[in-house]
Amino acid sequence: MSNAALAITAIAAVLFVARMLRGPALADRVISVDGFVSTIVIGVTIASVRPGSGVVESTVLVVAIGGFVGTAILARFIERRGS
Amino acid sequence: MDEVLDAIGAVALVLGALFALLAAIGVHKFRDPYSRMHAAAKSPTLGLVLVTMGAALQIRTIGAVATLTLVAILQLLTSPVGTHLIARAVHLRVEVPQDGVDELRRDDEAVS
Repeated sequence: MSNAALAITAIAAVLFVARMLRGPALADRVISVDGFVSTIVIGVTIASVRPGSGVVESTVLVVAIGGFVGTAILARFIERRGS
Repeated sequence: MDEVLDAIGAVALVLGALFALLAAIGVHKFRDPYSRMHAAAKSPTLGLVLVTMGAALQIRTIGAVATLTLVAILQLLTSPVGTHLIARAVHLRVEVPQDGVDELRRDDEAVS
């Protein structure tokens, strides 16, 4: 079952990256980066279930905190730089 | 009992992954940044809560359950804050093509 869940997450990640590449505005790219990071957190959580994957739950915590800090920094970046 | 918990956990994992896919489809299909933000903000949060629940049901050690609960609470706290930061920056700085009426901007122009 975790294989199916990982496959669905991978499709979601590909769609986010497609929107990230197409834009058109900087805002669209930042939003899709945010969603992409959320998808990564979901994928890492699923990977922590699989025996022998070497991923532990603490990894999920670190990735989640890093994702929030990244989003905040990107928002600051837009505010300072403009469009 | 173990089989039941494993089955519920597996279903929760797949449901959570489907919510991530839903967000990705929304971000891919919607037409302006605000509606994309609406898709990208909410459903991954619900997806992550479902996935952490499923993982906790499958791993079933006290440390793992505590850590995953912490992750879910953290996500519920930080996701609205991050989305609000992005929305504020976009509204202040980016000229966005929109469907419909920008009521905030219309009110600003009516005052000035």
